[in-house]
Amino acid sequence: MEDKVGVYICTGCSIGEALDIEALSKVALDELKAPVCKTIADCMNGGLDVIRRDVESEGLNKIVLAACSPREDFGKDPFGQGIHVERVNLREGVVWCQPPNDEDTQMMAEDYLRMGIVKAQKTQPLDLFEEHERINKNLLVVGGGITGLTAAVEAAEAGYDVILVEKEVDLGGWMAKWYKSFPTFTPYQDLEDNGVSGLVEQVQSHPKITVRTSTEIAKIEGGPGLFDVVFKSNNGQPASSEPLRVGAVIQATGWKPFEPECLEKLGYKKFDNVVSSIQFEEMAKSGRLSRPSEGKPAKNVVFIQCEGSQDDEYFSYNSSVSSMVCLKQALYVREKSDNVKAFIFYDHFRTPGQYEDFYKRVQQDPGVFLSKGQVESVTEQDDGSLLVTVAGSMLGEKISIKADIVVLSLGMMPASADGEAIRAWIDAKAAVAKAEQEGNKVQEDVLALSRKPQPDEPILHLNYRQGPDLPVLEHHYPDSHFICFPYETRRTGIYAAGCVRSPMDALSCREDAAGAALKSIQCVEMTSRGEAVHPRSGDISYPEFFLQRCTQCKRCTEECPFGVLNEDAKGTPLPNATRCRRCGVCMGACPERIVSFKDYSVDMIASMIKKVEIPDEFDEKPRVLVLACENDAYPALDMAARKGLTYSPYVRVIPLRCLGSMNIVWVADALSRGFDGIIMLGCKYGDDYQCHFIRGSELADRRGVNVKEKLEQLALENERVELHQVEITDYEKIPQIINNFMDVIEEIGFNPFKGM
Amino acid sequence: MTASVVENRPQDSMAASKGKLVEPDLNFIREISRLGGDSFKKCYQCATCSATCPISPDDKPFPRKEMVWSIWGWKDHLIKDPDVWLCHQCNDCSAVCPREGNPGDILAVIRKYSYLYYAFPKFMGKFLYEPKYLPIIAALPFVILFVIVALFGNFQPEGDIVFKKFLSHPFPLDFLFILVAMFALVSAAVGGMRFWKALQEGPRPPVNNPRGFTAGLIEAVKEVATHKQFNECDKANPRFYSHLLTFYGFVALFITTSLVFLGLYLLDLETPLPLLNPIKILGNLGALAFLIGTGMMLYLRLTDEERAGKNSYNDWLFLGLMFGLAVSGVLTEALRLAGIAVAAYSMYFVHLALILSMMVYFPFSKFAHLLYRTLAIVYYHGYAASASEAKEALMENKQELKDETVQPNAA
Repeated sequence: MEDKVGVYICTGCSIGEALDIEALSKVALDELKAPVCKTIADCMNGGLDVIRRDVESEGLNKIVLAACSPREDFGKDPFGQGIHVERVNLREGVVWCQPPNDEDTQMMAEDYLRMGIVKAQKTQPLDLFEEHERINKNLLVVGGGITGLTAAVEAAEAGYDVILVEKEVDLGGWMAKWYKSFPTFTPYQDLEDNGVSGLVEQVQSHPKITVRTSTEIAKIEGGPGLFDVVFKSNNGQPASSEPLRVGAVIQATGWKPFEPECLEKLGYKKFDNVVSSIQFEEMAKSGRLSRPSEGKPAKNVVFIQCEGSQDDEYFSYNSSVSSMVCLKQALYVREKSDNVKAFIFYDHFRTPGQYEDFYKRVQQDPGVFLSKGQVESVTEQDDGSLLVTVAGSMLGEKISIKADIVVLSLGMMPASADGEAIRAWIDAKAAVAKAEQEGNKVQEDVLALSRKPQPDEPILHLNYRQGPDLPVLEHHYPDSHFICFPYETRRTGIYAAGCVRSPMDALSCREDAAGAALKSIQCVEMTSRGEAVHPRSGDISYPEFFLQRCTQCKRCTEECPFGVLNEDAKGTPLPNATRCRRCGVCMGACPERIVSFKDYSVDMIASMIKKVEIPDEFDEKPRVLVLACENDAYPALDMAARKGLTYSPYVRVIPLRCLGSMNIVWVADALSRGFDGIIMLGCKYGDDYQCHFIRGSELADRRGVNVKEKLEQLALENERVELHQVEITDYEKIPQIINNFMDVIEEIGFNPFKGM
Repeated sequence: MTASVVENRPQDSMAASKGKLVEPDLNFIREISRLGGDSFKKCYQCATCSATCPISPDDKPFPRKEMVWSIWGWKDHLIKDPDVWLCHQCNDCSAVCPREGNPGDILAVIRKYSYLYYAFPKFMGKFLYEPKYLPIIAALPFVILFVIVALFGNFQPEGDIVFKKFLSHPFPLDFLFILVAMFALVSAAVGGMRFWKALQEGPRPPVNNPRGFTAGLIEAVKEVATHKQFNECDKANPRFYSHLLTFYGFVALFITTSLVFLGLYLLDLETPLPLLNPIKILGNLGALAFLIGTGMMLYLRLTDEERAGKNSYNDWLFLGLMFGLAVSGVLTEALRLAGIAVAAYSMYFVHLALILSMMVYFPFSKFAHLLYRTLAIVYYHGYAASASEAKEALMENKQELKDETVQPNAA
């Protein structure tokens, strides 16, 4: 179908008063040969109907709407399905941040219109990826603890078939071993039955849930909607080799106890009467709250919140869970007899939210003694009792308590595996083996080999180029966008929930499980419509690889934050469309520029850059290209305009899906066109990154090395390219960044390539 | 009940590094809860109470530490702590406590517990703290007096109203009261000595260079006479005036009684004294002050709950007795002057019975604060707070002030 682009310039919101609309129309009609260019106004009261009528009568299939910021939402397909809309930001981008009826303001508006029209012209009609027709909507839940069970029930109740796998013989996880739960509802006073047995029954009897216990995962291949899972039995039963297809996976593998060295200093595993909080829970469940050594009834029980026992070197983080467990277990002791005393020593004590009421209730018990303090030692007495010495207690002096049982709180570690580290280790092993075979020594690989990941056994066994499990962050929690998308992981369609994601109590686990179940349902449904899940929810574009020109450099397969691309033996990328989040990082990575979306490509942005009119040196009007992340930096610029802040009229802003999609060739294009400088605005990176796509701005920064090379080739100053990390709230900072950069440009002078 | 804190033997060096062995006394915790201190467990040691208290000392300030000791059932510390007695219960601390832990109440409860703890003989303490014994303890003095009047006195004397016709001097009246006074004094002496000894072993052991008993006594007399500390915590508060009036009224009446007693035997003084006799004037003024003072206290306790703190049985018992004493005394005199014989003798009987109660119950009731608080103040100033240290602190302060004033000039 032939392209027919209609250009519509809005004159509302003071655009009409600030700009020469006639001159703008000429740019569209005469310069860019748009078949239709009209003005519109009053979008709230049918102003857009003109466009709808023209689409009908003129057969337009692309609309360039030169009006407000694209952040102003007109809904999905405002002018009909399949009608591409390109937004040109005249309001926030031009008239609200520039003086009206000024030559520079007009030039800015015209450039943006040129860029918008050329982008529309370059855009090709979108079609869905072909796999969308084959999407399976069943869900796989890995882990049969409180989180897994809840997730299975939630998903099944929503009408989806669920397969629940548990490596142990029985369902219930840790919770099945616990005696009672701390209160979960108002007034937060009394212990509750933990209720996990009822949940197990519900799962076992649910018609939409298939339970496979004593089962682990042997392999997962494919992507969302198309995962092929192979199970292995761990009780000697023959494993089914037939792969099972599922749409999404919930990883609810829970936690494992963390027992650092400092526990041994407190007599753990040395004295019979020093037990862990887990052992104590089991003792309570069996009704034997007596000394483990000889069964004598316990009169004094001391609970030690271990992170307070020594310095913080052993526990690099702590949660409220151990505090709450401690309070609960103190009540077990008090429940037994009114003459038994429970002592709690802690360094940090956390009872968030309404749990404070439970803390107050336990505190009010005359036989519970709470104090901050550092436990110096636990020693065994002749009679088998223990002497606990506490310094820095609230009592103002060093004290010791004669205890019958000492209970040590353990840490919670996620039952996760570091997929990337395992992959790196496997690669290193292979490289070393190869080097040895060839008689070479490869120092680096040996070093990598020494960093054997713990644990080294994968859990999900993903057949992903970037490793067999979810990438993890510090402390081995699966990486996600913690603030905005808590259940997401860096593997699309795989959702982490419960204690594997963050240390949490049963109540939070249930909430997490329900959230993850809903996210996985959303995932299979959207994938079946060919849409991206998040954060570009509903986007049906996807990257296409022109593989004839691929040089197997593996940059895309390595850099994709979501492990979309597998590799064949040679290193050619093998895309999995359903895993993709459409950020364009692969497009930015590719030195051959073979990765494109139908509505977002290297050529498209390059064409936009080339459409900007560069005045020659004698006009004294520099030009600076701003490549801005559309998630944070671009809306921040809009906000700056809405706040009435102004910035230099010499900048031309292009929003990018992610700064990670920035291809180096654009830098070369812009500079050789005569742009005097380039500002890249991305999100904060590092451990507490803010990037929607995890590493976009970090990758852009890393490509800075290549940018420097380009500058050297062109014999230009390094200062001409800057990268800034900004947040959406930095709207006051960004005009400052721009204006400061203009000063820099003034100092180093104009780009010598101008007018060439 | 065993002592709640056992010091490790110092020669055991291993044990010494283990600090104090703590065994919270659960019975004690329950007991103070029962006596009206049921909110102390709410404390989370923010120390707002100690910061608010206008009279809390700078070193080891109260009442925070007492709150912690109470939570931990550290009976041994609490009953030997002079600080508990420095508090005049203005309840500023309870008003500002963010946890509604009522530190003011806990100190009152510890004092209450101490009356019981140091009581000699012990059963007397019990009698006075259990409301169920109220009919007995109230009736007993009346019954005893009734028997004595029946045996040795005259219920309906004839002629002018002269009270010695009702019960004559020296026998049986003085005989009875001297006997009772002896009992009270012995009880108080034993209790006081136990307390004094306990203070030495408590959380404020004597300092190295104490100022001594005399210095402490002077401080105590100054304090009792001026109510200076009391005024510190009760600025512009009627509680200060009511207590001052009650105290001086009581002192005046005590002096009057003593003078008349001595006069009877040494000077053959004739009673009743004429109204213009200086002793009589002192007595009547004292009675008035005592009546107004106790009346005010009663009124305040009934109307200002926050200031009064938690009212308990023994507070009411003591205050009721005092007010009863005042009212019956004033009425006795009034009725005598009015010449209504039956009523005057009846009221005299009531008044005597109440005096008897006051004297018998003195060492065990809240009245004993006269003894324990005074001893605690003597101890605190004479032994626990070092004179030289106080002086040093004063000098340091002055030096600092000096430095501060010099600096601007130098600049």
